Amino acid sequence: MVPNYWNKVFLIYQKDLKDEIRTFSHLLGTLVFGIMLVFIFSYALQLVHLETDSIFPAVLWVSVYFAATIALQRSFAKEYEDRTLDALLLASGDRGILFIAKFLCSLTILLIFEAVVVPLFWIFMGVTGYNLHMGLFLVSLSLGSWGLAAIGTMLNGMTVQLPGSRLLFPILMFPLLLPLFMGAILTTQGAMLGEVQSVMGWIFLLLAFDLIFTISPLLLFDYVLEG
Amino acid sequence: MAKTDALTVKQIHKQIGAKWIIRDISFEARTGDLVVITGPNGSGKTTLLRILAGLIPKSRGQVLWNGSEYGLDHGAIGYVAHKPMLYENLSVYNNLRFFGRMYGTGSKEWERELLTLVDLWHYRHEPAAILSRGMQQRLALARALVSRPRMILYDEPFTSLDQDGQRLLRGVLEENRPKTIQLLITHEPQLMEGFCYGELRLKDGQVQGGPYGA
Repeated sequence: MVPNYWNKVFLIYQKDLKDEIRTFSHLLGTLVFGIMLVFIFSYALQLVHLETDSIFPAVLWVSVYFAATIALQRSFAKEYEDRTLDALLLASGDRGILFIAKFLCSLTILLIFEAVVVPLFWIFMGVTGYNLHMGLFLVSLSLGSWGLAAIGTMLNGMTVQLPGSRLLFPILMFPLLLPLFMGAILTTQGAMLGEVQSVMGWIFLLLAFDLIFTISPLLLFDYVLEG
Repeated sequence: MAKTDALTVKQIHKQIGAKWIIRDISFEARTGDLVVITGPNGSGKTTLLRILAGLIPKSRGQVLWNGSEYGLDHGAIGYVAHKPMLYENLSVYNNLRFFGRMYGTGSKEWERELLTLVDLWHYRHEPAAILSRGMQQRLALARALVSRPRMILYDEPFTSLDQDGQRLLRGVLEENRPKTIQLLITHEPQLMEGFCYGELRLKDGQVQGGPYGA
């Protein structure tokens, strides 16, 4: 039986995730990098006596951004380096399948990273979170990671065949991510202060941003991968 | 009896930047045909094959499958590239299984049959990374066949194959002949000795000769 669209997405997603787990060094490298950031920020911020609750959102998203530039570079780069991209393009038929599967795998890796690093930040930075709105906090993490994974996957697909792609990737990613970055930091700040209403606009902006950068690559991925 | 398919290539061109990689190539092939594409390096052979596989777009012209521009399902194309295109961390069996599942043609019997055909059944649990280059090329051949293709494209498939591998490949070419259109790039036409085939000779992106180019 010929697998449908979502079966193929699942097969590629499953393969990539298994590969990440099997070659644990890359995932481990990203996690170690995140943990190093926790210690560096905690140490640096203790020296200047800032109120940690208020700077926590910015520190958190800067760390997630840095980790993402490492973690998300692999989605297409590995297929390109192993020369398996052509075989995968032929087998998937629709290039959107490839984008969705790679995007979901990147998102999973980011969420694993956050599940490890966020509690560590919380503990080592001495965040109190007296007014924390947990639901909004999780929404900000999810929407921010979704956008980051979508843009990272799209840019990785675009730059993978170019010379100097490892340098181009973070340079191109930052300006594209600015609106998402602002939205994620301010929504996380709203969650820390327990102010849901004041950040509703930012939540809608994040949602719109995520949808645009998930749907547009789906439509344009044929051209993106042509290189 | 296998269905007869027809591939019609009409005046295709491919331009990259200011350079024309392929200019005005036209030919026809039917099920049972074996077209051998020859020519010096940089003559556009691989580009032509990649266009036919749907991996890169053409700049101009038409590729028709049974008279229809988009008539060929991607699963109907088997592609053996110059490089083996394998997941080196996956086992030999799982490489084949993954693509079999992607095409929806995989089954334990079929995968076993293919791995036996390319003489890799005993290596099925080994990661593809530890195989020699020639063995990887044989696995790539099995992967190209897993979708039960109706057109098979071979880009220098004899590369890295020892004499047994070459014999095996010739067997595959012969066995698949009645049910597929086969196009094969080679720099060593003498390896095709004993086969009845049509030749498409390319130079500077244009057809220079051979029965298909005449």
